[in-house]
Amino acid sequence: MAASAQEIAFETTERNGMNVHILSTEKFKTTTIVVMIEQALSEEHVTKTALLSLVMKRATARFPDTKQLREYLNFLYGAIFDVDVFKKGERQILQLYMEVPNEKYLSAETPLLEEAVRFLGEMLTRPYLENNAFAEKYVTAEKESLRKRIESLIDDKMRYANQRVTEEMCKGEPYALLANGRIEDIAGITGANLYAYFQELIRENPINIFVVGDVDKGQISEYIATHFALQRSRAKALPATQVNKAVAEVREVIERLEVNQGKLNIGCRTSITYRDDDYPALLVFNGVLGGFPHSKLFMNVREKASLAYYAVSRLESHKGILMMMSGIDVTNYEKAVSIIKEQVELVRNGEISESEMNQTKATLANQYRELLDNPRSTIDFAYNGVLSGRERKLQELLREIEQVTVADVKRVAAKLQMDTIYLLRDNKGEAK
Amino acid sequence: MDTISFEQVNETLYHETLPNGLQVYLLPKAGFAKTYAVFTTRYGSIDSHFRLKTGEVIHVPDGIAHFLEHKMFEKERGDVFQDFSKYGASANAFTSFNRTAYLFSCTSHLEENLSLLLDFVQEPYFTDQSVEKEKGIIGQEITMYDDNPDWKVYMNLLKAMYREHPVKIEIAGTIDSIAEITKETLYQCYETFYHPGNMVLFVVGSFDPEPIGKLIRENQQKKQFGPVPQIERIYPEEPKPVAKPLIEEKLAVGLAKILIGFKETQTGLQGEALLKQEYTSKLLLDILFGSSSALYQKLYDQGLITETFDSDYSAESDYSYSILGGDTPDPEKLVETIKTELTQYLQAGISEEDFERSKRRRIGLFLRSLNSVEFIANQFTSYRFNGTDLFAVLPVLESITRADVEQRMKEHFRFEQMAVSIVRSATPQE
Repeated sequence: MAASAQEIAFETTERNGMNVHILSTEKFKTTTIVVMIEQALSEEHVTKTALLSLVMKRATARFPDTKQLREYLNFLYGAIFDVDVFKKGERQILQLYMEVPNEKYLSAETPLLEEAVRFLGEMLTRPYLENNAFAEKYVTAEKESLRKRIESLIDDKMRYANQRVTEEMCKGEPYALLANGRIEDIAGITGANLYAYFQELIRENPINIFVVGDVDKGQISEYIATHFALQRSRAKALPATQVNKAVAEVREVIERLEVNQGKLNIGCRTSITYRDDDYPALLVFNGVLGGFPHSKLFMNVREKASLAYYAVSRLESHKGILMMMSGIDVTNYEKAVSIIKEQVELVRNGEISESEMNQTKATLANQYRELLDNPRSTIDFAYNGVLSGRERKLQELLREIEQVTVADVKRVAAKLQMDTIYLLRDNKGEAK
Repeated sequence: MDTISFEQVNETLYHETLPNGLQVYLLPKAGFAKTYAVFTTRYGSIDSHFRLKTGEVIHVPDGIAHFLEHKMFEKERGDVFQDFSKYGASANAFTSFNRTAYLFSCTSHLEENLSLLLDFVQEPYFTDQSVEKEKGIIGQEITMYDDNPDWKVYMNLLKAMYREHPVKIEIAGTIDSIAEITKETLYQCYETFYHPGNMVLFVVGSFDPEPIGKLIRENQQKKQFGPVPQIERIYPEEPKPVAKPLIEEKLAVGLAKILIGFKETQTGLQGEALLKQEYTSKLLLDILFGSSSALYQKLYDQGLITETFDSDYSAESDYSYSILGGDTPDPEKLVETIKTELTQYLQAGISEEDFERSKRRRIGLFLRSLNSVEFIANQFTSYRFNGTDLFAVLPVLESITRADVEQRMKEHFRFEQMAVSIVRSATPQE
């Protein structure tokens, strides 16, 4: 039976000490399988986890050579496969991702789905080892790849500015770390200590597996039980993300680089995260302020003052950070900051029109309902629930958003603390 | 409405040509929550030299198609985004080399949003004041792209490959070129290119095609348009050879970025022939440079490329090209190695196993792309303008043989058709 068209309804069971979440739907022409391994974001582990994501995808015991492994993926009708790391709050997630076409659209005899599960399972259960360690040739090559990846953060100035302001405002907190880790840790990693870390990770850390597609639940559960035969102890509890922090005064950080456009990022703390009752009100607050083209930042920084092409605010829902971002001519820095502060004040004072509230609720609801049509997004939505410990149903969240009042938005806005104003600017002009 | 069934992929497409010339395509998708609609005119950044209805030939400032796209959102009553937000839709637009598309996605109020889309694109409103205001906004958009090394290295490659063709010109223009735009030139462009006969409407997602088809028909019947015009676009004669073998630029980057392009000599194709050339070329690139190729692994093991290394073929009737490249610590050595390896491939040919695996991969990737309503609508429209059919991709892919790919390899990879673009850091890291 197909899942409800209006709800993200995963069915969850436990297998080999892992949580398996299955969403059976006929909508998609592919089946998506995602394995999420959760780790505390910390200086101790961050670089190892990141390197692991690169080393794992080079080979398995069955495919000791990367070329063979990639050829096999092509043989599975261009199965999409990747291993990656990202952060959600103060969690670093090691993610294994696989997507294969549904056999019913192909004239193939290969049992694609079971082969895909087997392939992913072998990443964890049958890694390619030499002398009981990850092969040095792969570890050495991927240490270099990781270094290059971290160095090329600077290529994307928007991402770079976002990371820099985060480092400045969260100094001393795990959240300051980049999900790809730190260059200074790379040299100390070997095939042996990385393999020891890998074993610990898959034995003790929380693992969630998600499957979305036209699948038979019983059958896919069996495939997972068979091909992910891990010896697991009880998943260990990871430390909570630090959300509350008093801000003594707003800091201003100006950094110079060879750029044409100034990147203005203003980091704020909201003290509210996904698990809180005020989360729906925070979503509406962010929407009124800068989430959409009808929002105050877009209308005032861009449309009225003509200062920018983009002027937005974004939430990090597990750390409770709100980031305002705009690309400006540096000569307009003070003017832009002042307009942005003014918009925040307006929301704080409850100066929000009825149409701003209605538009924000309507566009937010639309954004959430659109998640239903993308396998990846349905998984992210469900995983936010798992990670935060508050598993809202989609319809429940939509109802809560609908009920938010201007008074709720004011209450949330009152909690907002501006933390750091960061400007990435050019090398020209006088040093400030 | 006509219906066309694509049984292999389990889709049914509804099509109608309205009396005013508008091409309407509707693709209902069972079980989807959202609907995506895109209203596209065959008018992009390359269409800057053309004949007006009065018979006069004009040359408009670079970046005007994109500027016009921005200005369509502003009306006397205010900003169109506000109206879409009211109905919970997420609206946007984009301008490419050869088309301008206006779009929205929504999960409710489809009728209102669709009427809004048709009406705002068919109701120009430009004032001197609003044109001036937009120059600041687009100026920042241009500056943002100037800081984007991936965009720079790509545009520079087009400049290296094309001597005359306007595909070498920045889509958004430059700060200087947009300074020349006036409301009068915007109206001239609008009058020339926004006739329904030059446009395609594609709606895909969760809806019943009969009432939606009726809504579109009635909306269009209410409006007056002249007869479908013959648009005369004037493109310069593009010589076969590349303009320059190499363009280099300095920007703040971690590793150098390189793109290698091969400018196509077999141009002027349309319809299925163009589609076959596109997919034969894509297979060729996959086999030679894809992540499962011997060359990719060799370059990766030598540390000459990173995971960013990629290749693709871009197929348009009069400007097709292949591109490969990514981040590298040593652009010169990478070019040399690729040239040497390519020479060997040209002699040795392609193995049957590599060919079959790559073909399977392409079939799987195509099926996967049909999960995305955005891909279907935009790719269908883009192909439609070239007389090509998106749903013909699978049969065309299945028809391609190894001999086709080897033939393509010989005719496409000619070193005199090769150009290189490099972006590297002004201040060396070490």
